[in-house]
Amino acid sequence: MNQLWVTLRPHLPFMLDGFLLTVFACTLAIIGAVLIGALMASLRTSGNRIVRGVAFAYSDVFRNTPFIVQLFFFFYGLPEIGIYIGAFETGVIALSIIGGAFVSDVIRSGILAVDQGVIEAAKVSGLSRWTIFTKIVLPIALRTSVRPMGSVLINMVLTSSILSTITINELTGTAKIVASTTFKPFEVYLVLLVLYASLTYALSLLINTVHRRLNRAMDTGGAA
Amino acid sequence: MIVIENVEKRFGETTVLKRINLTIEPGEVVTILGSSGSGKSTLIRCINGLEALSGGRITVDGNDVSTKAGLATARRRSATVFQLFNLYPHMTALENITLAPINVLKKPRAEAEARARELLKLVGLADLATAYPQRLSGGQRQRVGICRALAMDPRYLLLDEVTSALDPEMTGEVLDILAELARGGTTMLFVTHEVEFARRISSRIVFLEQGELIVDMPTERFFAEDGGFAVPRIRQFLTKMKKD
Repeated sequence: MNQLWVTLRPHLPFMLDGFLLTVFACTLAIIGAVLIGALMASLRTSGNRIVRGVAFAYSDVFRNTPFIVQLFFFFYGLPEIGIYIGAFETGVIALSIIGGAFVSDVIRSGILAVDQGVIEAAKVSGLSRWTIFTKIVLPIALRTSVRPMGSVLINMVLTSSILSTITINELTGTAKIVASTTFKPFEVYLVLLVLYASLTYALSLLINTVHRRLNRAMDTGGAA
Repeated sequence: MIVIENVEKRFGETTVLKRINLTIEPGEVVTILGSSGSGKSTLIRCINGLEALSGGRITVDGNDVSTKAGLATARRRSATVFQLFNLYPHMTALENITLAPINVLKKPRAEAEARARELLKLVGLADLATAYPQRLSGGQRQRVGICRALAMDPRYLLLDEVTSALDPEMTGEVLDILAELARGGTTMLFVTHEVEFARRISSRIVFLEQGELIVDMPTERFFAEDGGFAVPRIRQFLTKMKKD
């Protein structure tokens, strides 16, 4: 144990930077994924067939292809057609996009599960379709979706380790460097596993808190 | 005036309403009686446009509910109270009541809230304006449902088995409010199983049997030995209801 400390100590500030970068990237990507997911879920319940088709295609394409291939496509492929964005931005965007595909699935189920009676009450009171969707259906769906969204968001944190393959020195990236300079992969990756586990555990606590906050007052009749 | 002419409603092969004719004049309280599955609720759902007609015509003050513009006007003139309350679960009682007045009637928020508080006071829920539906008892929820309907200043109140999900004590709370409204001259179409209550507040009673309107009589006639009571099916219904 002491030996581990002595070996790793000089590298800890570097790994801490990586840890913070992972937290930062994941925070941005989670916000992006929830926004994209809510938008795509809304489009997937649209009355317009083309809009619905595009939104379904988005979610199908990104859920059924490997993330690392998507990432390489964005990082190496886009510059070839003249689109240049930095590695970090590329990573965050790619992670938001795949997260959004899964989140849109969860929110879509939430939308479909909203009590028909509640929607009927809104209809007969003369509210427009837009108002019914934005003030009733989506707010209820988002509240019931928080907990089922949890595993998707946790998966995003785990997937973020793949960002190390496009030169981003987030947590896994820094660990790789430390492991190869210290020749102590066992110790380094053990620490890495513990750090990821704590990060996802913290996220699940946060998700539970948000769920409780939003659903405290409400019985949505669903997964609340 | 709500005019229902030759209305038919089919779900696939099943005919739920057969050539229904019924007129509700302003100021009337019309009760629809009939056993479960007789089409009572479906008739209400045809009036407020939740079900499309298979045949015939319904107009509310001359507005045909099968046209888009007609339905919009009909929905502004009428309000519905539901069996299962159907309150918006993520909104407080006050927000439930003010949502449509603010968004549909374009009332200023302050005015809509003042009116909502007035209505809540009327139904004895002044203290629960900021409570969410989950915190309320069934009877309280339904009273909020009634406030939500009244906040739209409807000419016609459509009541779809509004006490069927409530225990007797809560039923009493809700019926007291409806009786008050009836005395105040609110026009109501009332689908219910509460025969005795219907007798007290209705001006007319309509009886549906397997989708057919078999009797439409002033309340007194309906309960008279030589009136509705002389119809075997109705005598059977009323006797059974009394026993329950």
